[in-house]
Amino acid sequence: LNVDGLLVYFPYDYIYPEQFLYMQELKRSLDAKGHCVLEMPSGTGKTVSLLSLIISYMQANPLHVTKMIYCSRTVPELEKVVEEMRGLIEYYTQETGEIPNFVGLALSSRKNMCVHPQVSQERDGKTVDGKCHQLTASFVRNRHKSNPNIPVCEFYEEFDSNGRNIPLAPGVYGLDDLREYGRKTGMCPYFLARHAINQAQVIVYSYYYLLDPKIAELVSKELPKQSVVVFDEAHNIDNVCVESMSVKITRKTIDRCNQNIEDLSKQIKRISLNIPMLERSHSFYSYAVYPILLNLTHIHFCVVFKSDYVVSESPPSFLKDCQAKVCIDRKPLRFCSERLSSLLRTLELADIKDYSSLSLVANFATLISTYTKGKSRSIMIEPIMNFSCLDATIAVKPIFDRFQTVVVTSGTLSPLDMYPKILDFQPVTMATFTMTLARPCICPMIVSKGNDQVAISSKFETREDIAVTRNYGNLLVEMVTIVPDGVVCFFTSYIYMETIVAAWYEQGIIDQIQKHKLLFIETQDAAETSLALLNYQKACENGRGAVLLSVARGKVSEGIDFDHHYGRAVIMFGVPYVYTQSRILKARLEYLRDQYQIRENDFLTFDAMRHAAQCVGRALRGKTDYGILIFADKRFSRADKRGKIPRWIQEHLTDNLCNLSIDEAVQVAKRFLRQMAQPFSQKDQLGLSLLTLEQLQSEETQKKIENKIQHV
Amino acid sequence: MAEEDDKGYRWETEYEKTWEELHEDESGSLQATVSDLLHRAKRKQFMERVTNVRLGMMRHLLIVIDASSAMSDQDLKPTRLVATLKLLEMFVDEYFDQNPISQIGFLMSRNKKADKITELGGNPRRHIKALQDLATQACQGEFSLQNSLELALSALRNMPSHASRELLVIMGSLTTCDPGDVRETIQAMAEANIRCSVIGLSAEVRVCKRLCQLTGGIYNVILDEPHYKDLLGQHMTPPPASNSTESSLIKMGFPHHSLGGEKGKGEKPSMCMCHLDSKSSQGFSTSGYFCPQCKSKYCELPIECKACGLTLVSAPHLARSYHHLFPPGSYKEFLSSDVVTDGPLCCYACQVEILDPHVYVCEKCEQNFCLDCDLFVHETLHSCPGCASFRNLQTIQAMSLS
Repeated sequence: LNVDGLLVYFPYDYIYPEQFLYMQELKRSLDAKGHCVLEMPSGTGKTVSLLSLIISYMQANPLHVTKMIYCSRTVPELEKVVEEMRGLIEYYTQETGEIPNFVGLALSSRKNMCVHPQVSQERDGKTVDGKCHQLTASFVRNRHKSNPNIPVCEFYEEFDSNGRNIPLAPGVYGLDDLREYGRKTGMCPYFLARHAINQAQVIVYSYYYLLDPKIAELVSKELPKQSVVVFDEAHNIDNVCVESMSVKITRKTIDRCNQNIEDLSKQIKRISLNIPMLERSHSFYSYAVYPILLNLTHIHFCVVFKSDYVVSESPPSFLKDCQAKVCIDRKPLRFCSERLSSLLRTLELADIKDYSSLSLVANFATLISTYTKGKSRSIMIEPIMNFSCLDATIAVKPIFDRFQTVVVTSGTLSPLDMYPKILDFQPVTMATFTMTLARPCICPMIVSKGNDQVAISSKFETREDIAVTRNYGNLLVEMVTIVPDGVVCFFTSYIYMETIVAAWYEQGIIDQIQKHKLLFIETQDAAETSLALLNYQKACENGRGAVLLSVARGKVSEGIDFDHHYGRAVIMFGVPYVYTQSRILKARLEYLRDQYQIRENDFLTFDAMRHAAQCVGRALRGKTDYGILIFADKRFSRADKRGKIPRWIQEHLTDNLCNLSIDEAVQVAKRFLRQMAQPFSQKDQLGLSLLTLEQLQSEETQKKIENKIQHV
Repeated sequence: MAEEDDKGYRWETEYEKTWEELHEDESGSLQATVSDLLHRAKRKQFMERVTNVRLGMMRHLLIVIDASSAMSDQDLKPTRLVATLKLLEMFVDEYFDQNPISQIGFLMSRNKKADKITELGGNPRRHIKALQDLATQACQGEFSLQNSLELALSALRNMPSHASRELLVIMGSLTTCDPGDVRETIQAMAEANIRCSVIGLSAEVRVCKRLCQLTGGIYNVILDEPHYKDLLGQHMTPPPASNSTESSLIKMGFPHHSLGGEKGKGEKPSMCMCHLDSKSSQGFSTSGYFCPQCKSKYCELPIECKACGLTLVSAPHLARSYHHLFPPGSYKEFLSSDVVTDGPLCCYACQVEILDPHVYVCEKCEQNFCLDCDLFVHETLHSCPGCASFRNLQTIQAMSLS
């Protein structure tokens, strides 16, 4: 396959036109050594296009691009990427006749990778980390040498003695493969993978390894500048950035912290008494430790001191306040976190888990003193201290600066121009692709009024309106009677969902729904929700049909796919605006307005629409899939909202599908479902949305596919 | 919404933008592409039908009719159920016309239960009568796929192994209310070698698709009433026999119709076997078909003799089943611009000028046909008018058959 003069090995016989265009754009930005933002609908093979182009590019220009770092969100997604990569490498071997010198690697937390018989039994990530640390910390191992009874992790020992020198054989290693490999060779897969990062051409891991400065320091420090960084599913990247830099301290944390400090000082006393000959280190302790203790207690005091009113302020003023009240300078604060860890190390305390709250506070202190810009701290009446990062760029900026190409891609990135603004970078290419389809398998509709012509909306003023809830209920009842298998509904918030469901129950709407389908509700409890999901899928599977009521921004809306019969229709009840009264959000909006000239309203709409798109996009995960997407709010039909829906949905959202009443929507949906149920084979797709190599090269198709892309 | 509302106001329940549909047809968007696709698919289906394949000529077809509340929907006029029954009446007639030595039976599912309407049998009139009775009954409750399958399974399980076992579910409901795991039942159907097909009246349901995939049946969803008829028509022709049906020689009787009252013999009128149970005097006459083996009388064929178990058919019946085994060869598709003729390009069958870009040519007699005639020839006529009008070709055909 020839993309713009570059020979690309593409592991499938057929290629979608948009994949080809996608690769072209990607190539262009690689050439220019710049960043790019690309939007392509899910299910059209983003991953494989990315992998095959970048790997081919690496093979062709080994000097310009040496590494590819693929960041995704969840472990299953990482696994999917690894699978694609494996297929690609197999294809390489087939085509070229030799195994390419290539190492692909997935990295995840210890929890997912540990092979130690006892430690890997633990469920909680932090516990695993702590236990691992207990077995592998350098002082533990030193002690082990003198006293063999002290347990160490034999896997790590093996790795330490042999693993560092043996390079990994070329190939693709997923998490399971690494575990398997570790068991076979007796080496710790986690440390092996971390070590092998320097050697591997493709690294697949989670966002946090790159974005969170604390982890990135450890893991991703040595990555060369000539790397290509890919952020997949990047529609929420700014929130991830913000999260990784934010700290929340509650009263409980403070209490635990106090306890930790007492423990620590006891330890220090014990050690300094017991080992008097370590004179030098003793002096070090006293030098390093006491300021920290002082600091921490003072922070604690000042928090307690201030806890009786709500404050929201910026770091400089906070620091100044500190100084005035408890006489701490900025400088010692800054090294708080580092000192704590060095203290713990010298004290030979293995179980770092117990000190997590203390390190949290230390982190807070470090963060607050390091970054003076774009952060805000707020204290609620309940002594909760939120130290939140307002500017997504702080976390992501070093990455954009450090690596030559950063690819930000997802199925739902519209409107594209917002991302460069909030992440503060200059992309070379920005493009959005639509799906080429042999049949119109998306049916988006905007339902804006009920049969009684009352406008439906989740607007605050009409929330309590009985006519609106009734109309929402009618919409759902009508839909469940005509849509087979699974229907997923998204509400704007848990509270709203609760009030509406309660109202429906009184109006008898719930009963009517249950005549046709089983009803499942997402709750804030993760275990309960996953049980509901399981049963939901079962009900879809055996033909009973099911409705899932869930919440935008919830767990369901982010990570779970409702492909094929699991989601034949998605209904979005209302526009999922964030809760605008929250202090953090207010501060962030203000900051964005001041720093980047983004109006509050723009950002809110942008945020709401990307979540709406994300929700409805759950139902459509491929070209053979089909689904009805219903936006049930009057406000969706306004130009500012409609324009922010991703292009691949907008394309099918013609004027006569906006502003429908419930009846009209039902008629449209009925006809759509019948048409989609007609037999559909791969042959019908060929030439239209599937291209062979010859078709791709013909002039005619080149022209035809041109308009599938839209530069921004 | 409550059921009363559905029936009450026409302007509330049905919102049909007829003008829009017309518009779409002309502009060649949605509707046109789909109908075009369908047309092509239909032809493809004929192309795919391979000759010289073993067909399950003796069919045992059970039809499950959904009579749940979803069938009272008015998107087929007047209601789904009535429209279905009307089409099924036609289907029964046609079915026996095409498959004279086969049997059919009807089941119904409503209120989460499945009931038998008619037993498997070869008497079209009985079935049609039962169907007509059903039209007056109300649709209520929910559909149960599993119960229907279980009932069908028990009815078909004991059928002879040389006959094909088929089940056709006509399903208006989108949900099924099952007492247990329907997947086990589907597995049982597959093991019992019952070919299950489903015609959906509203949308694609996952579990039906699975059922059809696992048992080798076909799953379709109707677009509108004509399409519904087409889909039913698919089930008219016998499916290829699966490998596990054993082949066996079947003993058949060919009774002659005797008008009775032959002079000199002084025959008395007698009761025929098929109406023995009924109290009416119907079937009490001197005429009828007499089983060549045991001389019991029947008033219609084909039937299985109740006394001696012999399959009774008439010779024309068998002959009519014949065309399934030797269908006329499919026509080749050409672009009409490629076909060289003097004068306008006319269809040999209907003599109308062909305006369609495609023209269909019989490979034997090399005559041109239009798409409609092509479908007609292969669907109903079962013999090529071109070949039939040339004597020398007929002999060739006869030779090739023998």
